Amino acid sequence: MDFLLHHMLCTTAHRFPDKEALVHGHERLKYADVLRSVSGLAQALREIGIKRGDRVGIFLEHSVAQVIAIFGISYAGAVYVPINCLLFPNQLAHIAASCGMRVLITANSKLGSLLLVLPKIPTLEFVVTLSDSEAPSTPLRRFDFDEMTRNAVPRTWVDWGISRDLAAILYTSGSTGKPKGVMLSHANIMAGASIVSAYLEITDDDRILAVLPFSFDAGLNQLTTAFQKGSCLVLMNFVFAQEILQTLSEERITGLAGVPTLWTLLTQPNSGLLKQSFPDLRYITNTGGAMPQSVLSILRRALPSSKIYLMYGLTEAFRSTYLRPEELERRPTSIGKAIPDTEILVLRDDGTRCLPGEVGELVHRGPTVFMGYWNDPALTEKTLQANRVAPAEVGREEKVCYSGDLVMADDEGFFYYVGRRDTMIKSSGFRISPTEVEEILFQSGVVRDAAVVGVPDGMLGQAIKAFVVPQEGRVDPDELLAFCAERLPKYMVPKFIEVIPDLPKTNSGKVDYSELQRREGYESGL
Amino acid sequence: MENGEVQQRILQFIKARFPRAKKRNVDPSSALLESGIIDSLGMLDVVSMLEKDFGIAVLDEELVRDNFQTIAHIAEFVSRKSERKG
Repeated sequence: MDFLLHHMLCTTAHRFPDKEALVHGHERLKYADVLRSVSGLAQALREIGIKRGDRVGIFLEHSVAQVIAIFGISYAGAVYVPINCLLFPNQLAHIAASCGMRVLITANSKLGSLLLVLPKIPTLEFVVTLSDSEAPSTPLRRFDFDEMTRNAVPRTWVDWGISRDLAAILYTSGSTGKPKGVMLSHANIMAGASIVSAYLEITDDDRILAVLPFSFDAGLNQLTTAFQKGSCLVLMNFVFAQEILQTLSEERITGLAGVPTLWTLLTQPNSGLLKQSFPDLRYITNTGGAMPQSVLSILRRALPSSKIYLMYGLTEAFRSTYLRPEELERRPTSIGKAIPDTEILVLRDDGTRCLPGEVGELVHRGPTVFMGYWNDPALTEKTLQANRVAPAEVGREEKVCYSGDLVMADDEGFFYYVGRRDTMIKSSGFRISPTEVEEILFQSGVVRDAAVVGVPDGMLGQAIKAFVVPQEGRVDPDELLAFCAERLPKYMVPKFIEVIPDLPKTNSGKVDYSELQRREGYESGL
Repeated sequence: MENGEVQQRILQFIKARFPRAKKRNVDPSSALLESGIIDSLGMLDVVSMLEKDFGIAVLDEELVRDNFQTIAHIAEFVSRKSERKG
């Protein structure tokens, strides 16, 4: 019986030992190869003293090693914490310190830039690195990743955990403060894989192209659905749309998941999409924001034999809804209905159900509802609440996930995304906390007051706009942008900066974000 | 147009358009893609600037990393295209 994340790999490797599992550039691994490296790494992690539930970070580009690390950490009985490679050393240090990371798996080429922040992570004992360049000297004990994967595994192996234990922590931004650790159990991840592979009808014949990072729930889900079903997962990093199209053809890809910016890139006039055909591409899925209608219509024309699934999800509940491809023609702006084994409720502030056409908060009930935020009981209590509309026999113990997203349903029960309940920004598939960006603006020393909001953007969904009040004299927006760009990952750098004499305030003296959004022509649900 | 002049025009554009290029000492040999100075969407802007300012048409098959690694690579690509045109 498969109940831990790595069990799906073990089962598939026994069913299809010689089947292609992973492709990255010139590297091609069969399922038996993957399992051998994964179990070798697990044994080596236990040998260096990993204990049940220890947090192990992964800071790697999309690569075979990244996949081996995810499954190897699970196999060892530890918890993996994927860190997006776009993050800066200080942000990595925040995540590592926040979750009490004991081991960090990265590459020698990345370690140099991390040396200054390593002392800020008191729990960190070891680094495990890929030898892609010479290792810089560090006060921590360092092990070689490839050597670890070559370990022999003892004949008897005892798993330490059960499905309800913590498998992963995915860091994601909220509306305020630093990123929060979303805790996912093995059961959450397994359910996510089963549910998504069911409605996308994924089989061992599929060849799935993974361009989204595994630190993002939809990216991770591509990996787990592929390994659960015995499909082949092709990993790639890209700059130009052409590179993706080339891989689609060469690798005979059958499934591709993307965020709106990816589809925008692919549908640019010079991408070549319309000049080629992709008969193998069985489906594409969109998540992380609404797909612009103009982009959608190009994709439908360019990919007449591919099914297009529009999905909606949040890290705290993995995937929540999807629109069946046959409904696309009739309701191209809908996010669809609940995924299998899931109930989506639209609730008013008083906890009662909304009527069709009435805007309320999307509340997710089902097996993918997360365990809570790492070390943040107050926020967990706000997000995970008792199901107030549950049948009596379910009782009040079961927790449902309050998404913070405002939606409405039509008469036939199809959902439509309306906006955020709070000030959080969603841009190019990322969740962005205004306070994190504001903090950097303040650090510049030239700003007395700052407020950051999302403004409508055809390509990104929302673009970041910063309103700043100068400390004294004048502020050069270009200089300030350059300052931000050196301290924030690209997706968090404002697109626009507007200098204003004062920020609008509410009666209680707080920044009036809804007023700023209204000025930008936004009718939000705030 | 001299190659050096082409490089300068591209450098100016990149410094003005991409905040991360401003603070760093970007020169014609700086890695634009690996260093995160320009991403996929940013490259679209670079391509439209080349088409507009240098009057060239960038073909689909020319949108490959080899032509866009550094400012020197881009300038060489522009020169090659301009010669063919001229």
